[in-house]
Amino acid sequence: MSSAAPAPTELGYGRALNAALAEEMERDERVWMLGQDVGRMGGVFGVTRGLHERFGAARVRDTTLNETFIVGAAVGAALSGTIPVAELQFADFALIAGDEVFHKMAKWRYMHGARLSVPMVLRLPSGVLGGVGAEHSQSLEVLGMHFPGLKVALPATPADAKGLLKTAIRDPNPVLFFEHKGLYRSKGPVSDDPELLVPFGEAAMRREGADLTLVATGLMVGRALAVAETLAADGIGVEVIDPRTLVPLDMETIVASVEKTGRALVVHEAVRTAGAGAEIAARIGESCFFSLEAPVWRLGALDTSIPQSAELEQLVIPSAAEIEAAARELVAL
Amino acid sequence: MEELDLYREVTRIRALELLIHHHIEEHGFDGFWHPGLGQEGLQAGAVSALREDDYLFYAHRGLGYALAKGMSPVTLLADLFGKAAGSVGGKGGGTVHFVDPERGVLGQGGTVGSSFVLGAGVGISSQLLGDDRVTAIFFGDGTAARGTFHEAALTASVWKLPLVWICENNGWAISVPIAEQSPTADIAERAAAYGVPGVVVDGQDPVAVREATAEAVARARAGEGPTLIEAKTLRIRGHFEGDKQAYREDVVDGLEVPRDPLAILRETVPAEQADRLDAEARAEARAALDEVLAMPGPDPKVVTEGVWI
Repeated sequence: MSSAAPAPTELGYGRALNAALAEEMERDERVWMLGQDVGRMGGVFGVTRGLHERFGAARVRDTTLNETFIVGAAVGAALSGTIPVAELQFADFALIAGDEVFHKMAKWRYMHGARLSVPMVLRLPSGVLGGVGAEHSQSLEVLGMHFPGLKVALPATPADAKGLLKTAIRDPNPVLFFEHKGLYRSKGPVSDDPELLVPFGEAAMRREGADLTLVATGLMVGRALAVAETLAADGIGVEVIDPRTLVPLDMETIVASVEKTGRALVVHEAVRTAGAGAEIAARIGESCFFSLEAPVWRLGALDTSIPQSAELEQLVIPSAAEIEAAARELVAL
Repeated sequence: MEELDLYREVTRIRALELLIHHHIEEHGFDGFWHPGLGQEGLQAGAVSALREDDYLFYAHRGLGYALAKGMSPVTLLADLFGKAAGSVGGKGGGTVHFVDPERGVLGQGGTVGSSFVLGAGVGISSQLLGDDRVTAIFFGDGTAARGTFHEAALTASVWKLPLVWICENNGWAISVPIAEQSPTADIAERAAAYGVPGVVVDGQDPVAVREATAEAVARARAGEGPTLIEAKTLRIRGHFEGDKQAYREDVVDGLEVPRDPLAILRETVPAEQADRLDAEARAEARAALDEVLAMPGPDPKVVTEGVWI
């Protein structure tokens, strides 16, 4: 950061997203938004608060309860000269608009010979919130990795929430933007420099360490850092890497770390089976075989739906204690 | 003379239709070809009411929509045969895909009915940019069943988006007749639910379709919102070329078109001129096909190009 940049201020993750939207709508009048209750209400999680008043009903559009319309209309608008930022109330609802998300958003450019582009962002509140159950709590980011044409961002900090969303809006490709519902109120330093972007495909080194590489995303980044702190007291150095975007995925940083530590643990909130961690672990195996001193391990949600009970819910996703136990065991192997 | 221009377009589309039919009969075809024989008049008639910069989401019956919008038959046939020189370079989505951003031709979904919601989004862009463009969305009576129609129509009507929906009702959703698909005789009746005009027009009469479309386009451009036009037409061939239509009793396995739009238009055009336009159309189609068949396929290196920018 240059010395002229304004000093960061403490901001919530949700407020940081709001600032990104406001700045980008201010910067480029082609940027507009649509979704259920994003207007007068300011979004069910309050992310778009104040934007309807500030930019007007033409650019901040409240839609009906129609996910295929929200995503499909955004694709059409992106094809014809504007830059829509669509919000679905819960990431789970992307499946209602499956054809629009995984076919139209992802493939329209390719199947029309790259003669058109789809510059849009689909904002997807994701992850567990405590008590919202099986169809409002999922972490579905791996789906974006399986449909070439999409980009996938999942910020873990307020600064990344703002910087990645601004990058997503300026990216000429369609972006699935997974915001963690459990992080909306978390606070952290956020720059108010409107040109400070967080690039896609550059992992964040959250903490350095010599003994174990811990790759974590979303809500798990905070838990990974807490575990690293605990293990440091016992002389175990844990390097925590947050990829920030899964497409593009910064394997270079991960591989360089594993070549140094010789051990890797990948942790995410999404279902462990065929999750993004499986892909990352496989790539570590392919690239780092001769540096590895132990198998690559993964932690993720159990093969079950998310139960409504907030207590049961926490049993499904990796806890700090489970991450710590796995890390200790892996380092001892 | 407007009728003469319309006749030229319809006979050009018909010449391509027949040539493709005979070519497939003789040589077979890798992929899907959904013939538009008998529906050329309504396609040309509706498109003739659009401005060159108006947007078009075409349906999958034939090449008439895009030919009438100004795309070249060489490009369209190159797309049909998956050639490098086609507008999508061999990467289309399962039926003939083509695109021409300069002429507002924005493509189609491999899953029919997706154009309803995408088209609404294009209308939002036009509203935001104030570009005065109208978006025409073609679809069949089968596609009219998609929930995306309801989702798009509901909001497009409230927001008065500049759209024209053109339903080509040929009476058959692949193998199921319209009477088993629709509780009402006219699909256009559904417009009432969205508070927009629903217009039934004779799809075999190109001039009637043009007039109905022109009215809808004017309404859309004036900011008064969408119109649903239902053009009653006929499906002469199977759903795809090769479909024997064993499910159908009224089928005549030939190329005769009852209430042929070309014959209806011919009554308004001097015979000599019509004959000349027919001959020109056949020559154009033949030359285009010969040119395309000699073309190379796509270079293997393009297979991973164009996924991301």
